[in-house]
Amino acid sequence: MVSTSPAQAEEPLRRLHPLTPLLRGFRYAVLVVAAISWQGYARLGTARWAVAVAVVAVLVLLGSLVSYLVTGYRVVGRELRIHEGLLVRRTRAIPVERLQSAELVQPLLARMFRLAELRLEVVGGSRTEAPLAFLTLAEAVALRERLLGLMTEARRASGAAESAAVGDAGAAVRLAVPAPPSAERVVHVGDNRELFFSQLLRPQWWLLPVGIAIPVFDAVVDQQLGFIGIASAVTAVIGAIQAPVRVLLGDWRFTLATAEDGLRIRRGLLETRHSTVPAGRIQSVVVEWPLLWRAAGWARASMHVAGVRQAEGQQPRASLLPVGRVEQAQAVLAEALPGVALRDIAMSPVPDRAKWFAPLRRRVLGYHLGPAAFSSRDGLLTRRLVIVPYRRIQSVRVRQGPLQRRLRLATVHVDVAGGGFGYSGVAPHVDVTEARQLAVELAERSRAARARPADR
Amino acid sequence: MTVFTIWPDDVVWRRVSPRLYWRALVARVLWLLVLGGAAAVAWYGYANEVVPLIAGGLALLVLIRLPFVIRGIRSWGYAERADDLLVRHGLMIRRLSIVPYGRMQFVDVTAGPVDRLFGLATVQLHTAAAASDAKIPGLAPGEAARLRDRLTSLGEARAEGL
Repeated sequence: MVSTSPAQAEEPLRRLHPLTPLLRGFRYAVLVVAAISWQGYARLGTARWAVAVAVVAVLVLLGSLVSYLVTGYRVVGRELRIHEGLLVRRTRAIPVERLQSAELVQPLLARMFRLAELRLEVVGGSRTEAPLAFLTLAEAVALRERLLGLMTEARRASGAAESAAVGDAGAAVRLAVPAPPSAERVVHVGDNRELFFSQLLRPQWWLLPVGIAIPVFDAVVDQQLGFIGIASAVTAVIGAIQAPVRVLLGDWRFTLATAEDGLRIRRGLLETRHSTVPAGRIQSVVVEWPLLWRAAGWARASMHVAGVRQAEGQQPRASLLPVGRVEQAQAVLAEALPGVALRDIAMSPVPDRAKWFAPLRRRVLGYHLGPAAFSSRDGLLTRRLVIVPYRRIQSVRVRQGPLQRRLRLATVHVDVAGGGFGYSGVAPHVDVTEARQLAVELAERSRAARARPADR
Repeated sequence: MTVFTIWPDDVVWRRVSPRLYWRALVARVLWLLVLGGAAAVAWYGYANEVVPLIAGGLALLVLIRLPFVIRGIRSWGYAERADDLLVRHGLMIRRLSIVPYGRMQFVDVTAGPVDRLFGLATVQLHTAAAASDAKIPGLAPGEAARLRDRLTSLGEARAEGL
């Protein structure tokens, strides 16, 4: 397991291909030359323009050359190490187990020289954390094979179940062909009438009169109805009602089912969508109670799913329950996060002195340490309950500002994969002793949960 | 009582290198030189009064912050427990991070020019959560390499990915 036995560390640092500075510099040079020419060609005259372009070319080339000279990589044991930077030197050590994909890319210019870029992805980040550009095609292929070989070897060594799930991360939410319904069990079928009325109760509609009134007012004052007036009215109306209408169309006939391969969701009026969320990829679930829905006893639930490259049209957040009563939310939650019961979640309140931070929210704020998950509540108008299973906790942080120190309060953050803004747990303004206990307890519970074999 | 002092007794906090004080001092002296230079050029070259005033204000701020910066550096601490890495820092805003080794995605060792002058490096542990804050500055290169190797090997041993 230990990756740096002295014999392995001997492997020499390998450089990128010598043409790299030319190819990479070329891109910047084209941009800069374009920028110069745009403004200056006429003013500078051909001779001075040529000098300017030559200077830029030399500078860019020098910069790329320096960057080339200080960049290198080597494989040490089961780690890939990438060295870079002249002034700020950085060494990045990536264990091969953590590589989600190793993709070979050949941009046009590189293809002409039979070069390739190796893009190595790790989980969570939305961008490629370790690009190696450029290598000869043969070298790139060889390195890729070597890394993949090490990856499978490492996965075999460290028990298959969880690793296989991690390896499958690329398909975090994949659009599947309609699967045979035999193997699945339907958990929730959305009520379209409820969906319709619940979407009517969203605050976006209140903007509608404003969106119409302003152009009408304009038209009345100016005594004419111009094209711009109509266009702006239409834009305002569309802007105001876009969100509820999109939900209405997208979550029509919402069906949630469970099957061998995870949660299956079918939805949509105009465009029917089928998606499968593999079991164990749900990082956290949020249950929300908007103010206007509370009278009807409605709630909605959504989940944060982590995978690689969420930018590529994959939705990191997906609806679990567009609208429903608490019992339905409970049923859906039980499938998404086994072992979590909504009615058992009893909030630990924050101390009275938290009123200096949150005079109104104080009564809403709270957290709960459940048997399988941590949950925290916030939000005055739309009440949000964030539920993070202990298994999925990435890190725990305690933060205490100067005023909090005076009041002996602290905030505990529970981070989940993928950054998930609004989808990670926060217990704000907890008593400082309690916060310490909470952090220790969370660290301990997440360790215990991770130690147990993946049950699903 | 603060977040830090109430941590259980079994944790031995390791401090960052005292050379970090000198590094902070030098970085600030460099800033003061730059500010002074800008002020001098503006005053003697262009008879400008605004730039020296602003530069003076900024220099004053740098000087006033200096003792706090020194105390802030003293607040850095890290501890390697059996299953997780603890990092604490901050004077005004106190922060404590608990990052399990198994959540490690990759480890960066970074050293800027002034850092290298003093033989210092920064180790940062990255997890799949962008918010995870496990950065330890002011380590001697040997200690940085040791910590990196330990973090990566422990991370591999307890591999969990997501």
